Amino acid sequence: MAESYRRSQWSHGLFILPYLCFFLVLLVFPLFWGMWLSLHKADLFGPGRFVGLTNYTRVLADPVFLQALRNTIIFVAVSVPALVVIGLFLALALNRTTRATSFFRGLFFSSSVLSVTIVTLIWRFVFIPGDGLLAVLFKQVGLTPISFLSTSGWSLFSVGAATVWWCIGLPMMLFLAALQQVPQDLYEAAALDNASGWRVLTRITLPSIARTIVLVTIIQIVLQFQLFGQAQLMTNGGPSGTSRPLVMYIYEVGFVRWDIGRGAAASQILFLIILVAAMAQYIVSSRKTEA
Amino acid sequence: MKRILMTTVAALAMGFAASAHAQTKIELQRFFGACDADYGKVTDVSSAVGECGIITSLINKFRADNPDITVNVTTVEWPGYDQLNAQLASGAAPDVVSMHYSAISDYQSRGLLEPVDKLLGTQGVSPASFTDAARAGVMKEGQMYGLPFDNWTMLFHVNMNLMKKAGLVNADGTPVLPTSADELIAQGKQFKEKTGKPYLIQILANETASYTRVLYTFLQQQKSDFFANPKQIKLKTPEAKAAVELMKRTVSEKISTVGLDYAASVSAFANGDGGIAVNGTWLIGDYVAQSKKEGTALANGYSVYPIPQLFKAQDSTYADGHSWVMPKKNRTPEQVQAIGKLFKFLADNDFQWARTGHLPAVKAVFDKPEFKALPQRDNIAKIAQTGRSLPAEVQRQFAIQSIIGEEVGAAVNGDKPVDDALASAESRINELLGDL
Repeated sequence: MAESYRRSQWSHGLFILPYLCFFLVLLVFPLFWGMWLSLHKADLFGPGRFVGLTNYTRVLADPVFLQALRNTIIFVAVSVPALVVIGLFLALALNRTTRATSFFRGLFFSSSVLSVTIVTLIWRFVFIPGDGLLAVLFKQVGLTPISFLSTSGWSLFSVGAATVWWCIGLPMMLFLAALQQVPQDLYEAAALDNASGWRVLTRITLPSIARTIVLVTIIQIVLQFQLFGQAQLMTNGGPSGTSRPLVMYIYEVGFVRWDIGRGAAASQILFLIILVAAMAQYIVSSRKTEA
Repeated sequence: MKRILMTTVAALAMGFAASAHAQTKIELQRFFGACDADYGKVTDVSSAVGECGIITSLINKFRADNPDITVNVTTVEWPGYDQLNAQLASGAAPDVVSMHYSAISDYQSRGLLEPVDKLLGTQGVSPASFTDAARAGVMKEGQMYGLPFDNWTMLFHVNMNLMKKAGLVNADGTPVLPTSADELIAQGKQFKEKTGKPYLIQILANETASYTRVLYTFLQQQKSDFFANPKQIKLKTPEAKAAVELMKRTVSEKISTVGLDYAASVSAFANGDGGIAVNGTWLIGDYVAQSKKEGTALANGYSVYPIPQLFKAQDSTYADGHSWVMPKKNRTPEQVQAIGKLFKFLADNDFQWARTGHLPAVKAVFDKPEFKALPQRDNIAKIAQTGRSLPAEVQRQFAIQSIIGEEVGAAVNGDKPVDDALASAESRINELLGDL
């Protein structure tokens, strides 16, 4: 290490220059520009005027924002555990090297490559009243069909179901990769000790992939807080705003109301929430691991 | 060798000159849907049906008639203003854009549109050639900010086959339509009892426009001056309450479909799943075409009427319209001239567009025998007198529509008391308008 450090030169840093340029222009600059915009009363078509923290106070006092915040937190609180648990279950079930498991891995991952438009179109066929798959099934068993996309409560559930189906591929693959890293001798030792399946899972498998569980949870928290396309296309945030997520609020304020400063303020609040949620999850998990 | 070189250079130069001449290119951006698979190469406009088919074949015809002009068409999802905003913000606006009359104020007041009076003048298109309603839709501060293309409104599309079954047909073959709120409910119940199907097919899910247009219509029918001040709406009124309660009764009395979005409601009517579809003028062409096909739910049994007068004060229907506008940007004189030619072509062919069901923007079309011969037009002709829009000074009409639709939808579907929904809509809209 000392030798490599001695031979290093500042000019080697030029190798990261192309990446650094894109990073600064496409990520750092927009981040600070967004913060600057959030302090202005501005639309998309020209410079605004400085209004200090007015946009933030208005956003935080807006019942529509608070409703969107509540919807998003509920959505994240339900969809992230579902993605982690189902992803882990699928990974455990498919952690074998047979043709059937290879086929099912591909099958479960295949939904992830679809665009949000296709995903919502498919789930619209499932949930729509009248000719929808669930409506037909309900009628077959003599039940009254539910208007899933236009009933309070059910609309957010419908968006969640489509999201879990769409996003399950990545958690499953990450868990599979982690499971394949667990040393086999641990399982052999457990077998010699005649350990039960549950004991093997809780004492060997889960502790061995704990870091991956944290990673998947943080990735999913960050992703699911950014829910937009599914809600926009399946329910348009309705009924009565009960499935409107925060990003849709930002979009509506910025692009439909032309109040880009206020939209930027809401974006900064969302950024802060995601940061805090992801960090909290990381810190709690790290402490547990250390203990 | 030198001669060959010179000849080659001259030929290339001529080629470039010719191609430059051929490439007066204009970018046109529109909604109305995409149907290139059916109409991508059709230039016989008279054979096209529906908004998408007719506008696609109209542009094809213009291209064929003007080989020196290239029209690149971008189709956007309705209404496409978010995309346009982003384009305007990044200085990449198209040359010609489809725009509702109700949206023009926002862009004109921000200096984002070019006036088109002079351009139309150079093509010999006079402002006086348009109907008063159409001209008023694009007229701001004494100038025209777009080519008026039509006027549209919501209508009662009637399945006469089911109405006969329900005993709701007059001796002259016309449908029995309600003349009051109570009659609407009573006829709805009769219809449901006789046919087992809902009387009304309404767009009650995943959409806000329909709720808003019906509310505006009912408010106008009660002569409620809810936008007396264009910066402030008044919805905590007895008129607004009566309107929303009637809309709610259509659901609570179970005479309407529930949970259908726009696409589902259009196909529900086409499949004969209900008696009357509350939807726009733009569907007339499609439904008339379907009614001419044997074996369909509408076969020989389709008719259409304005939303009936259900409140005593006046007969009125909320109306809006489509126009073609020019976003402000640098253009070559050739491009401006090409747009002028396109505008004249569209104005000259307004009859073809009126076949969609929209009311023509060009006065002369009303007198054309071909227009008079179009089916159902007599039934809806009175909209030219009863159609009313919001005051032109009201800005952010699409944002207002979203708020009203959301709040009224909550009341109609029982998620909120009517008074709470109206109070919430009023405060949200006034907060929006007060913060422009």
